[in-house]
This record gives sequence, structure tokens and C-alpha cells, in this order.
Amino acid sequence: MYAWPHWLALVVMTPLAGAALTPIAALLDRRSPPWWALATMTFTSLAATMLVLRVFAEGPFSYLPGGWAAPYGVELRFDEFSAVVGVICLIGWMAILFSSRYTRSLPEFASDRSPYYYALLLLNLGGMIGFAVTGDLFNLFVFLEILSLSGYALVAVGGERIAEMAAFKYLLMGAVSSVLVLFAIGFLYGMTGTLNIADVTARLGALEGPTAPAAVALALLAVGFVTKAAIFPLHVWLPDAHAAAPSPVSAVLSGLVVKLGVIGMIRTYRIYYGAGLFDLTVLNHVLMWLGAISIVMGAFFAIFQEDVKLMLAYSTISNIGYIIMGLGLATTYGVIGASVHIFNHALIKATLFLAVGAIIYRTGYRTLSDLRGVGRAMPLTSVALSIGAISIVGIPPTAGFLCKWYITLGAFEANQPLFGFVLVFGALLIFVYYIRMVNAFYFREPIHAEVTEAREVPVSMLLPTLVLASLCLIMGVLGRIPLTFIEPGVVRLLAPLGG
Amino acid sequence: MEVVDIRPMLAPGVSFACAAMVFLFGRNTNWRRFWMLSAATIKMIVVLSMLPGSLRGVVYTFDLVDFTGGIGLGFRADALGMFFALVSSSLWVATTVYAIGYMRDDEKRVRFFGFFALCVSTTVGIAFAENLLTFFLFYEMLTICTYPLVIHYETPEALSAGRTYLTYTLIGGAFVLVGTVMVHDATGTLSLGHPGILDASISPGRLGVIFALLIAGFATKTALMPLHGWLPRAMVAPTPVSALLHAVAVVKAGAFGIVRTVYNVFGIELLDDLGFALPLAALAAVTIIVASVIAIFQEDLKRRLAYSTISQISYIVLAASMLTPFAATAAIVHFANQALAKITMFFVAGAIQRTTGKTNVHELAGIGHQMPWTMGAFTIAALSFIGIPLFAGFITKWYISLGALESGQWWFLLVMITSSLLNAAYFLPIVHLAFFKPARGDAVPVKEARPTLLIPTLVCAAWVLLLGTMSEVPGMPFSLAEAAVRFVFRM
Repeated sequence: MYAWPHWLALVVMTPLAGAALTPIAALLDRRSPPWWALATMTFTSLAATMLVLRVFAEGPFSYLPGGWAAPYGVELRFDEFSAVVGVICLIGWMAILFSSRYTRSLPEFASDRSPYYYALLLLNLGGMIGFAVTGDLFNLFVFLEILSLSGYALVAVGGERIAEMAAFKYLLMGAVSSVLVLFAIGFLYGMTGTLNIADVTARLGALEGPTAPAAVALALLAVGFVTKAAIFPLHVWLPDAHAAAPSPVSAVLSGLVVKLGVIGMIRTYRIYYGAGLFDLTVLNHVLMWLGAISIVMGAFFAIFQEDVKLMLAYSTISNIGYIIMGLGLATTYGVIGASVHIFNHALIKATLFLAVGAIIYRTGYRTLSDLRGVGRAMPLTSVALSIGAISIVGIPPTAGFLCKWYITLGAFEANQPLFGFVLVFGALLIFVYYIRMVNAFYFREPIHAEVTEAREVPVSMLLPTLVLASLCLIMGVLGRIPLTFIEPGVVRLLAPLGG
Repeated sequence: MEVVDIRPMLAPGVSFACAAMVFLFGRNTNWRRFWMLSAATIKMIVVLSMLPGSLRGVVYTFDLVDFTGGIGLGFRADALGMFFALVSSSLWVATTVYAIGYMRDDEKRVRFFGFFALCVSTTVGIAFAENLLTFFLFYEMLTICTYPLVIHYETPEALSAGRTYLTYTLIGGAFVLVGTVMVHDATGTLSLGHPGILDASISPGRLGVIFALLIAGFATKTALMPLHGWLPRAMVAPTPVSALLHAVAVVKAGAFGIVRTVYNVFGIELLDDLGFALPLAALAAVTIIVASVIAIFQEDLKRRLAYSTISQISYIVLAASMLTPFAATAAIVHFANQALAKITMFFVAGAIQRTTGKTNVHELAGIGHQMPWTMGAFTIAALSFIGIPLFAGFITKWYISLGALESGQWWFLLVMITSSLLNAAYFLPIVHLAFFKPARGDAVPVKEARPTLLIPTLVCAAWVLLLGTMSEVPGMPFSLAEAAVRFVFRM
């Protein structure tokens, strides 16, 4: 069944079409948008499952819309890294289910805004899926814009004043980075006369004449994608944006959207490793250092946050640091660890944001001291939160452990023991602030009556949180599966290095 | 012979379940006591049931999860692990009884007993860890679980001591983790089931880094000088916790880590070739002497005991780094000898404090007449530390001295003798004050501590005597230590 070629087209088209149809669905029935969005994502998830199964069985494959052959047609290509669509669908689905109740009862979501919210969410998810599966540089840019623009709007949809400011900051940084990517694509097109990624790779490799424009394009792509991934010091847009957005949106933004910057980096690497035009050691070193600095700075800022959502946002910067450092190490272990961390961190961060969202929804408080003692009032949500916390620190047997272990092994494999130390001590810092959170929630006396009287959230919010939390555990115990899944992709990516 | 058996996992599992029950249903005092005591007993029975097999050379293993190629969580009850588990699980019974008596009127008993049970669970987990990763996991859990115990009274002093404790031990833990990753990078395995997994094909520089990382990491918990700063400060904790920290769990976990590093990660031959052990032995020797000297000047009884612990625990490190069979025997049996004598002393200190409110050494004049049994137990423990024959501590010193002669390094003998004298210098004045000085003010009638405090103290003191007199009897822990030594030295 998974061999049916059109799944690849459907996985992109369904959420985009669903997004366009959401306002119409709202016209027919005002309460329908969440269920419409859920149905759309259910079908998309089905398509994504088929695609992941197929890439597992057959390896990478392509889809040519309209049957136009690769250099002229717009190719969709699904490889091991594209399997991130699986987690995009999963978390998108959970976030929509979580939102269904959330949007109904919060004042800032006057019911007339709700259809746009779901349309934007679907658009965002569709953009991400498209970005992950496209084999064409220009499409890459188009999808990047779709997911970025809908992202800016989703941050603002929360409606508070801080949200508008945060969205504007996000918009500025995001727009600049998009323009950089567009410039780079223009350079590459000018040099090679094609936009197909595989073709660009081949023609760059055979390039005669000056290579400087290719180097400029590389630099532009790297800066652009690294900004999207919120690596220090280009992270300034992230904390406010992720903290101000509604919690399910934070889960999507923090768990998924920043990862697309990393996927973009992997695509860039694929072109430049493949072309073999120049030695990428310098870029790799820059990324390693940026990753290391992000880990430490992100953790450092997080330690001093009182606002739980800001804390989680800074923790994202740390974790993206892990991923970027793993990529920069350019060893099999390091890149495998980094790739799997894309997936696992998405699960973990979504768990954390949904759990925190549930707590904020019930109590109305969002700082550590205000939320003291909430662990006793909302036991299930707090257990989910604790599982997320130990996962993100990387304590076995949870999802965060194996990928960090692999990245650390990668550091030693690359003969960069210093970075191995940074990784471990970064994890220590992360540990410190999550301990602060768990300590406040469980072992401190409550100071607000609302906190002690809080009840568990309704099933539609509790279920996604618990499912994601148990996945954090399951993916830890079954950690072997994603590792073996991604390995051929990583081996192929690094093959031109001769390693 | 290796047998797959769930008991190595069951042993930590029992106290883990106990902790869960205490946290969930601990508000009711009777139920809490029931859970604590039955879990302590069940666990001791589980561990004891493996003893006959262990003495015959059977190793029980249980693999919980295998993540991928050599990384997993597993349990393995070999002779060395059995020894440590036996010590900690039998002392848990005593400490539980004592803690129930000591913490009778405390407000935060639920939290206290919950984490108390978790600590013991993780300690047995450390004892039975099959690989360095499992070891590390439990080692870090131990750090976390002892923190709420250290800060129990939540005074500013306690909170600051807790922060010091966490800073030292978490940074130490990070060193251990880096070392663990490097071991995996170098060998592709983390198993602790061999007499050494590293080999000479790895460059000496790299081996040196691994050794330094692992030893430095473990030494923070062992309180090896100069990494001992947290231990005396952690004395603000309730006395049963101090007993737990000093005798049963924390410092022992560090020492056990060092023993595992020396015997199971590096192995005797490799370390002997590399010559890393000598600096470690020297450091341990310095710690033994310096900590003893500092102990003489401590006025607070618990602080004096704390410095005594720093000194005594280094015996294990010293013996382990001599790399001879006799010294190895001493290193292993000292886990029991030090634990029992030191726990007796802490029990005494706690009993005195609860009964009379006295915490300073000079206040103890004449207390032997008021609490003769308690101070009798203290005297037994003190004589054991000094190394008088018929007491447990003598066995340790004897074998360390034999090991010193075996390895041809006579100066270890001097360390032993000096240490004995210093032990006498800081323990005997207490005994002298208690029994031979009149109490200030009116004569006090005999008033012993309440039975829940007194009985565990006496049992531990009796056990010290038993260890000292009957170590050659089959079935005593000593034979287990010999079995462990035979494995390590491939005899």
C-alpha cells in the first residue's frame, strides 16, 4: 500500500488545501474548524506513515508532479531526513486536539478568530512538510516563507501586547533570514542554471571558473538557516516569540519550526558535501562553536528565568545547539545523534509546552514561584512535565539520552574532546534548571489558592500531553529504531567526505 | 558461572516501590512504618538469598534494556557488588528503625522517608550495576535523592550546605559521565563484568585522561582531599541522614566507584603497567593523615565524626590503589568495617543529642554514667577504628599492612601506624570524658535513649565485634570479599 506514488503529493497538498478550506468550513458550522483541522491532519498522518514505511523499505524516492522529468519539473524527494514529516504530523495533530478546548475558552480567541487560527496552523504544518520533502530549491524557499509567515501570525494570534511585539521581532529576523536564503538560491541558480537540488549538486561539482559565488551562497544559506534555527547570537527573536504564543503554538514553534532551519542546513550540506567544491572544515568548526555557545548560553539564560515558558524557550536554544554541534562534528555518530535529536527534541519540547500550557490554562499563573505546589493539584500533567524534564536533560532511559550520548561520542570520534565536555556540562546546566522547576512544583508550599484548587485539564488537553510524555519514554527504550532508521541517510550524506 | 535472575533488579526495585508507597500513602504513620520496615526486611532477604550462590561463584545477571550496541541498562550481582549490597541493605534495616525513632515528631516525615528509601534503592542499584552507564544513572539519582535529606530542616545553613553538596557532586558526576563516554569511545563496551575492559592498545595519554576523569568524579563523593569540602557542611542534616551519607550510601558509592574503576574498568595489570595508582595512593595517604589531624580540633561531635569519615573512607582508596590481593581484600572488607563502626558512632551522636541535647565534645563529661550502653557502643566503635585486635577495624589494618609489604612499599605501614595513633587521639578523649570525668553539676541518674534509638546502636556495635572475631567463619562477608578478590586477580 505504501508503494502508491501519490502519497508524497498528498502529504503536502492535504494540509495546504485543508487550510484554505477551513474558513469555508467555519461558515457552514462555527464550531467545526478544530475537527476539520483534525480530520485534515489525520489524513496527512496516514500519508506520512506510508511515506516513512516506504523510505524504510526502499530508501529515498522521488515524485514528479505531472510526470515532468527532474531538471525541468518540480521534484518532490523523500529521504530519511524527510521522515521528520512523521513527527510534524504527530505533534501537529496533538497540538490541534489540545487547541480545540484551549481556543474555545480563552477570551483572546473570540470565536471569529478561531477559523483563522486553525487555518494558520494547518498552513504552518503544510509549509513544514513541504519544506522537508521538496527536492527543488525555489520550492524550498516558497515553503520556508509559508511556514515563516504563518508562524509570525500564529505568535500574534494570542493577542496580548507582548505577543504583537514578539511577533514583530520574529518577523524582522525571519524576513531577513528568508531574504538571505533567497539570495543564495539566486546565486546558485545563476551559477548552475537549475533549481533542482540533485542537479545543482552535480553541476556545482563540475563547475569551472571562480568558486567565490558558491562560497557566498553557502555563507548566506548558513546564516539564513542558522537564524531560523535560533542559534546564539541569532536567537534573539525566539524567547519572546515562543513564550508569548498560545501554548499549543509554542509546542509547534519550539518543537518543529526551528528544526526546519536545521533541515535546511542538512540540505545545504547535502549540496556542498556532494559538490565537493571546497573543504567545509571551517564552516563545521564555526557550527561546532556556535552550537557549543548556544548550549551554554541557552542554559545559562534559562537558569535565571522565572517564567516557565521563557525557561522552555531558552532550553530550545540549548537543544538546537546540541543538534547544530552534532552536524558540525561531521562524524557518523555526531550526525546520527543530531538527526535523531531533531525528532526526539520535538517530542520532548512538545510534551513540555503542552503540559505547561495545561497548567497555565488551569491556574492562570506562569512563574515558578506562583506555581509552587501545582504537582499535587494536577498530578497527571505534572508527571508528564517531569517525564519531559528528565528526557530533555538526557537521563536514560528517556528519549533525550541516546541522541546526546551519540553526539558526545561523535565529539570524541571527531577528536574534539573539548566539545564532549561542553555537551556534558551543558546537560548539567540544563539539569539544574529543570530540577528547579520540579522542585517548585512538587516540594514547595503553594502560595496561591488557585494553584491548590486547580483540577486536571479536560481529556482533550490531557490526552495529547500524556501520549507525548509516554512517547518520550518509549522512544528512549526503543531508541535503537530511529538510530538505525536514520543511519543510511547519514552515511550517504557523509559519504563524499570519504569517512 | 552466570545465571539470569531477576533478583539483582528486584533488590533496588523493592526500595523503589517502598519509596513510591511512602510518597503516595505516607501520611498515615502506621502504614508508613509498615512499608519502611517490610521493604527493608524484604530487600535484605532478597540480597541474602543470593549470598549462598555468590559464595559458590555464581553471578546473577539481568539485562533490563539494551538501547543499541553496548549501551544499555543492566544489573549484575557479582561478589564485589554483593558485598556492597549486603552492607547497605542490612544497615538499611538498622537505620530505618533508628530513623523512625529519631524523626518521630518531625513535620516533613513523608518527604524524609520517601527520599530515604530512594537513597537506599539507588545504592543497591550502584552495587548491582552491570555497566558504567547504569552505574552512572544510579550514582546521579543518589545525588538528587540525598539533596532533600541534607536540606531537611530548610534553615539557611542547611540550604547553603545543600547547594555546596549539589555543586560538588553534580560536577563530579559530569566528570564521571565524560569518562564513561570516553571509555565507550575507546572500547565500545561499558560492561563492569570483566577484570578490566581497557587495554594497553589505547594510548597512555588517553588512558590517563579517562583515569583522571573517573577518579576525580568519584572522589568528590568519596570526599578525598581536596574534594571533601561538602562533607563537614552536610552535617546540618538530621543524624540518620548523616549516618546514611557517611556509612551506608554516599561516600561509599564514591569509594565503590573508585574500586570499580580500578578493578573492573582498568584492571590490575593495566594500572600496574601505567603506574597511575601510586599518585592516587599518595593522595589517599595524605587525606588519611590530614583529615585525622583536623578531626582532633573539632569541638562538634558530628563534625569530628565527619573528618574521621574522610580519613577512614580513604583507607578503601589507599588499599584499592595498592593493587595487591591482600590490599584488595582490605579495601573490600573495609566497606563493612568502616560502615558498621561509623554508623554506630553516628547513632550514638544522634541518641545523645535526642536524649540530652548535647552536641559538643566537652559537654560529654560523665555521659558514660548516664547512658552506659550507648557509650559502650561508642567505645567499641572507637576501638575498632583505632585497630585493636578483636575489633573489625583491625582486619582492615592488618590486610592493608600485609598488602603494603606485598607491594614492597613500606611507607604505607607508617601511614597505618600514624593513622591509628591519630584515631586514638581524637576518639579516646571522648571515651575518657564520658567514663572517667564527673558530670558537671548534679549527678544524673541512668537515662538511656529510647529503645528505637538504642537497639539499632547496640546491634551495630555487636556486629563490629562479630566482624572482628569471626571473619574466618564460612558465610561471613569476609569470604565474599575473598571471592571478589579471586575474580579481580584472576586467581
